[in-house]
Amino acid sequence: MPSPEAEIVNHIRRLRFEHGEMTQENLAEQAGVTRHTIMALEAGKYFPSLLLAFRIARVFGAPVEQVFEYHGEPR
Amino acid sequence: MSDSEKWARWTLGVVALTIAAYGAFVAFLGHGPATFSVFALLALTSVPASSRRYFKGQRFDEREQQIASKANRAGFGAFWLAFCGLIMAIYFTKGWNATLTVPVWALTETLMWGFILIVGVEAVTTIVLYRGGLHA
Repeated sequence: MPSPEAEIVNHIRRLRFEHGEMTQENLAEQAGVTRHTIMALEAGKYFPSLLLAFRIARVFGAPVEQVFEYHGEPR
Repeated sequence: MSDSEKWARWTLGVVALTIAAYGAFVAFLGHGPATFSVFALLALTSVPASSRRYFKGQRFDEREQQIASKANRAGFGAFWLAFCGLIMAIYFTKGWNATLTVPVWALTETLMWGFILIVGVEAVTTIVLYRGGLHA
């Protein structure tokens, strides 16, 4: 089975910079998590719940599929 | 470094300090109330910021909660294994119908060592999960 990091990628880092170089702290505050969780997300070390994924997408004013992409094979 | 990681490192330090103090007290004083008092050092595990957050009712985010939950399960899992191991060891060495006479200090210290095992494993698991990530 492929590892999750091979299947899910996110564009949080790019989106932060496209939104006025938003800091991790700022994004964390708006999404209701700690900065360490944002760091783990950007590093691909953690995959968020659906709720957190939607919260982050809302902060960027983008649909969730623009923030997170799934590259897994259909089963 | 997150509050939880700081707690984990602090806790490992407290555990090491307690074990060292226990060893020193047993060497010089033997088993007794004075030696048992070193376990009071374990109260220091409540000093770090993450403990204060917990006691103030401040919520951890979902990743922190997942790590805390896994660390908690690992700690109690280790305790359960140790408990089963102890029971099995007594069973195989003394037999099922044997009567054990243990001093009170041995009973109370066993409980303290159980606590040390739980928080120690929790702390190590917390550090490992923060370092290696958590793919939930």
